[in-house]
Amino acid sequence: MSYDLLLNAVAAGLLLGGFYAAVSLGISVAFGLLDVVNIAHPVFVILGAYAAYVMNARFGWDPVLTGLVFTPVFYLLGMAVYRVYYASFERKGEEALRGLVFFFGIMFIVEVLLILVYGVDYRLVEAPYIGESFHLGPVSIAYRLFVPFLGGVLLAGGVYLFLGNTFFGRAIQGVSQDSLALRLMGADPIRIKTIAFGIAIATASLAGSLLIIIGPVEPSIGREYIGRVFAIAVLGGMGSIGGTFAASLILGVVESLTSTFYGPSWSTAVSFGVLLLVLALRPAGLFGR
Amino acid sequence: MANKLVVKNVEAGYGSVRVLHGVSVEVAEGETVVLLGANGNGKSTLIKCIMGMVRPEAGEIYLERDGQRVDLVGRAPEEVVNLGITLVPEGRRLFPKLTVEENLLLGAYRPDARRAIGSNIEFCYKAFPILEERRRQLAGSMSGGEQQMLAVARALMSAPRILLVDEPSVGLAPIFVSRVIAKIKELKERYNLTVLMAEQNFNQAVKIADRGYIIVHGQIEFEGKDAQALAGHELVKKYYLGV
Repeated sequence: MSYDLLLNAVAAGLLLGGFYAAVSLGISVAFGLLDVVNIAHPVFVILGAYAAYVMNARFGWDPVLTGLVFTPVFYLLGMAVYRVYYASFERKGEEALRGLVFFFGIMFIVEVLLILVYGVDYRLVEAPYIGESFHLGPVSIAYRLFVPFLGGVLLAGGVYLFLGNTFFGRAIQGVSQDSLALRLMGADPIRIKTIAFGIAIATASLAGSLLIIIGPVEPSIGREYIGRVFAIAVLGGMGSIGGTFAASLILGVVESLTSTFYGPSWSTAVSFGVLLLVLALRPAGLFGR
Repeated sequence: MANKLVVKNVEAGYGSVRVLHGVSVEVAEGETVVLLGANGNGKSTLIKCIMGMVRPEAGEIYLERDGQRVDLVGRAPEEVVNLGITLVPEGRRLFPKLTVEENLLLGAYRPDARRAIGSNIEFCYKAFPILEERRRQLAGSMSGGEQQMLAVARALMSAPRILLVDEPSVGLAPIFVSRVIAKIKELKERYNLTVLMAEQNFNQAVKIADRGYIIVHGQIEFEGKDAQALAGHELVKKYYLGV
């Protein structure tokens, strides 16, 4: 085993992990802090990727710019989805199974709509930095991985600071622990959850634009991510943003090492092996409270 | 700003079960009023009616604020809190997986409380040094007595004009009960708080009471003008003092 190969595999894993964080944050917030099992999250990421594709193909926009510009749109979309979910299921206490079906439905509808409009072909974006790379000693770093990594780090940092340092963020952390107690502090739990879910979906806009920088996307590529992002959210400890970030890096490195030294087909199996092992030893996840 | 909480002829219950039958209670500015009664007589239901957690079927609940009347019936709990009425709920209802400090900061959620957050948290830590020691600890990992202290401190963080306390003694060792009651008394004097406390532990409640009501089967059986009057009443003798 060559030393350079190992270094490059670790670096690629860390870069990929930073991007995983961008995709997993929304799951961690919705699933871990709001008790909303949004399995449709990856499809919102794909939607973000297609937005980046359309704006790039039509107007030549940089995907990151599209991600930022569409953040408010996704925020409002997320608020609307939560309102429907709340009114139809959560308010009646039927969220467990029917809520799951609801998000499954959203996933299929969005996928089919994307197929109807854009077909099943892979779509990609053009930006000057895609295809370029720089060197750090023996390690070669591709910008198409470095930009998503940076995006993931900034996004995770932003969400982390928001949740820990604002009244709203603390209320989001408390809402699923005791929503009545939250009302007794003067906060409306439904409003808190609506906004928090909006934020979770808003992160998908940016994650999608980062996804299409890494490589081409097609409408059902989100399914590849469902297992992985839930694994990350659980591995990190439900609702812990720092934990989600650490778990993303760990999983990225583990996958990269596995696919470099044993072949890509093993990487998913090894990721889930790590998840099972951690759950056996620490059921609350690595950083769960 | 003078505050007076008025409950007039309130009838309330759950579904077809009527719990309160025409209850009237008044708490004036700066007073500490206790609501005495054994379990299941409607103390908590009355508190919940004031907080907007249970909607009365009949009767009035309002604040008299500088001669103006502010109705409470029909308001959501968060609106009642925003009027300066805070509840220390039965069973404490802390956020168990948030730290002590995060719980306190959440207590100051309402806009009026955010302005004074620095001095209030300092005050809370001075009043309850144990909370400062444990500020980074998860609230759910503390003992019952410490949790009750935190529940009281968290309520104070919302800078209330009127503090409602529902059964602070439930589930606490006697030593903690008297400590919690003594703290409430100390805070009340320092803040000039108006307090309405529901409690079944007469011996403790009477230590801080200016006045009190005895509630039996959802009706006010007796209104004691002071602690002595309460202690002298036959119901109290019968139920609490064993004579």
